[in-house]
This record gives sequence, C-alpha cells and structure tokens, in this order.
Amino acid sequence: MSAIHIRLEAAQNALHTLVKQPLATLMTIFALAIVLALPVGLFAALNNLQQLLGQWRDQAQISLFLHQDATEQDVQQLQKQLQSSTGVVNVRYVGKSAALQEFEKNAGMTAAIKILGENPLPASFIVELNPLSESPAALQAQIQSWARLPGVASAQSDLHWVARLQAILALGKTAVWILAIMLAVGAILVMGNTIRLHIAQRRDEIDIASLVGATRAFIRRPFLYQGLIQGAIAGVLAWIIIAITIAILQGPVDRLATLYGTRFELLGLTGLEGLILIAISAILGWLGSRLAVGQHLDHTFS
Amino acid sequence: MIEFINVTKHYPGRHHVLRELNLKLPTGQMALLTGPSGAGKSTLLKLLLRLEDVSHGTLMVNGVDVSTLKKRHIPAYRRRIGVVFQDHKLLMDRDVFSNVALTLQVSGVNAKQIQSRVRAALEKVGLGNRIHNMPATLSGGEQQRVGIARAIVHTPEILLADEPTGNLDGSLSTEILDMFRDFHQHGTTVLVATHDQAQVERLGLPVFHLEQGMLQNSQEKSA
Repeated sequence: MSAIHIRLEAAQNALHTLVKQPLATLMTIFALAIVLALPVGLFAALNNLQQLLGQWRDQAQISLFLHQDATEQDVQQLQKQLQSSTGVVNVRYVGKSAALQEFEKNAGMTAAIKILGENPLPASFIVELNPLSESPAALQAQIQSWARLPGVASAQSDLHWVARLQAILALGKTAVWILAIMLAVGAILVMGNTIRLHIAQRRDEIDIASLVGATRAFIRRPFLYQGLIQGAIAGVLAWIIIAITIAILQGPVDRLATLYGTRFELLGLTGLEGLILIAISAILGWLGSRLAVGQHLDHTFS
Repeated sequence: MIEFINVTKHYPGRHHVLRELNLKLPTGQMALLTGPSGAGKSTLLKLLLRLEDVSHGTLMVNGVDVSTLKKRHIPAYRRRIGVVFQDHKLLMDRDVFSNVALTLQVSGVNAKQIQSRVRAALEKVGLGNRIHNMPATLSGGEQQRVGIARAIVHTPEILLADEPTGNLDGSLSTEILDMFRDFHQHGTTVLVATHDQAQVERLGLPVFHLEQGMLQNSQEKSA
C-alpha cells in the first residue's frame, strides 16, 4: 500500500472518530476557536488603532521657518527635499503675506502689525508627518536635519505625544504577544487533553495493534490527524468569530466617526492572515496531539 | 527455527521466572508448551513476542537475535509472528472483519487485498458467514476462531498461542487445536502453551514441559 493510501486511511479513521462523537468534537473546536480568537482579535484591534492614529497626521505638524532672505530657488529645493522625506504626508508652503493674513485673521492684531510698518513674519513650510512612520528619535533626528538645510532658520515641533503614543502601542503589542503565547499553550493543552481521552477510549486497540506489529507512526497517525483537523476547523471558526465581531462593531464605529466628522473602516483579517491563522491553529492541534500520543506510546513501547 | 540459548528471565526484586533455558524448535515444526500456572509459559511466549526483554542469554528466531533486537525493529519482527491469546483480545466495538483486518492494516496491505485475505482467513476458521457480526454476538469458541483468523491472516512464519483453549470445553478445544495442527501442516512453525493434559496426549506432539522456569524432560527439549 502506498504511503498516500496509508495516510488517507488514517485521515478517514480520524474523521470517523470525530464524527462519531459530534458533541465532544464541537466542544473542543469551539474551545480552541475562542482561545485563538482572543489574541488574534486583540491583534486586529491594535492594527485598527494603529490605522486610526496614522490618520491623525495633522496632529504631527512641523513648522520650518525660513530665513527672511531665503530665495525662490531655496524654497523650491526645500519643497522637493521635504516631499521626498520618509513619513511626510503633506508639505504646504506659507509665504510671508499668507502668514500675515493668517496671523491677522487668527490673532486679530492688525493694528499692531500696521505699527511695525513691514511684515515681520517669515515664510514657512508646514510639514505633516505620519506619527507612526518612524520612531520618535528618528523623527526628531529628521527634523533636526531639516533645521540645518539652507534657507531654514528654525524648526518647531511637539513630538512628545508621538513618543507617548508609540510607547503605549508597543506596550499593547507586547501584552498581546504574551497573551497569545499563553493562549497558544492553552490551545495545545486543550487538544492534548482531548486526545488523551480518545487514547484512553482506544487503549485496547492501541495495545492489540502494537501486538500485531503496528509501528509508532501507524498508531500515532490517526490521533495526529484528529488534532490537525480539529485545529484547522477551529482556525476557520476563529476567523469567522473575528469577522462577525468586526461587522458588529462597524456600526457603532461609524456613528462615533461621524460625530468627529470623519470615516473609519474597521480592518479584519486579510485572506493571507486568515490562512496563517488556520495554519497556526492546525499546527497547535497537531502539537497537542503529538504530546499526548507520544507520552502514551513511550509507555506502550517501553 | 526458534532457539533459546541459556535464557534467563527475572524481574527486579522477584524470583527467576525462567532459568538457563535451552530449547530448540525447528522451522515448520509444532510443539506444545506445558506446565502448571506460574511455570513460565506465558513469559516464554512474551519473550518470543518481545513484549519482555531477555535478562540473560540469547533468543534466536528465524535468524533474528530477538534478545538484542532494537526497539524500532520490533514492529517488523512482530509482523512475522501470529499470536492467539486465551482471552482472545478482540476489539468489541469492531465487527469480525475489522478485527481480522487489523493485522493486515498495520502491515500496509491495500484495501482490496484485505477484503479477500480476511474472507479467506475467516473461511479457514469456519466463520465465513459471520464476517459482519460483532464479537459480543459470538460464542467463546467463535471468538477464539476470530482471534486465530487474525493471527493467521498474514500467513506468519511462526504461530504462538497462549492457552488458546483455556476457556473452552473439550470438543471445542479439540477443534481449535486441530486447526493449529492444520496450519503447521502447511509449513508454519507453531508453539502452543496449554495445560490441557488430555489434548497433549491426544495430539502426540513434542512437548516442552516447564516447572518453575526450567525445562523438566530432557528428552523433549528438542522437537
């Protein structure tokens, strides 16, 4: 018999065992799916948060004030350089007269300016940055390098909040990773325990198979496939749980975003991420089975 | 050929179950293994199946040194042997066919071959019409015949039986032991452990008699 036939038979055997005990199988699959959906859902939430914060680019504005004697050529060169820099979302030039108009409009100090006789305000570039494109230190270094460019008199920025935001996100990611690892171990234990019960139910069969010359691999295979199949189905279910959760949350998020005069589309898992989830889940199921059946076979074959 | 050369088996902290055992059963021969309970008959069969390790000495089976056989080679070795147990060791949740098919499945035989060979084995033991019965619906003698079919379905080189008639009445015992004699006449080496003295005398086969782990009758050491 070919290796494929042997494996197919083991897979049929595994499916038969799972179908024969539908309630126990479903309970295991649901338990695994929930255990997996938790960290993956949190990762999705962090991704959404990151996307939302990335939209707050107008909150990361840098003002580059130019020298009074900066030429038209300096301005054009600067604009080009700034637009090609990493993390820059938008560059807006504010000329001296535009700055004055804005100042008069916002500060209402028309009379005071008139006393000065000439426009004291410098031309400037307003650079909008994606606050999450670089680390705070890298952003700060970039701003300092801009401040040294020809024609630039000074740079003004407030990136402390970016540092705080990035620190919070990093903390969130670490916490979710720890949770994910703990829950992955939990998933392995859930599967291991389930397979242990299956082994206990089939102890006679294992012993007799061993007596008539079954190899470890032959005995182990159906149990491994059971873990693999249950793990994969649990992965699909976890994906569905996350998709349903996101669909349910989209309505309230839409209403909230409307109140802020914006739109925000919640991100679920991409096709590739979903497939990775299923693969990881199947591997966790397989690992749990492997641990349980390995322990039993060590005893049987000792 | 089965050959025990100065084989001793003892368990830590317990007496010797087999002592300096020397026994030879040539290929294609049939012999009976007799002795009271605790004489070491089952242990001897366990050593042959490599369910237990030899403590001292050498055990050779058809050119294989079983006493030093590596663990990973044990399954392949066991597939060359057929074994029948007193308590049948059947899977009660599987039908007769599945019980017998197990031996071929572990050897990687394909489904079509399994169908024909299992049917042939069951015909041989007179259970051709019980192929889809569950073991619980069979009598003790029939269950034992399922066990025998499972042991011979892969045409083993050696057939071992541990008290195969222990739970059966006189006529059934005769039937079962005659079945073993048939297999032996087809070239299989057969070793049957029994304490049924009437059957031993009736069959007139070579006998290895064990007492307290030692062979008792030197004339019968070699079959």
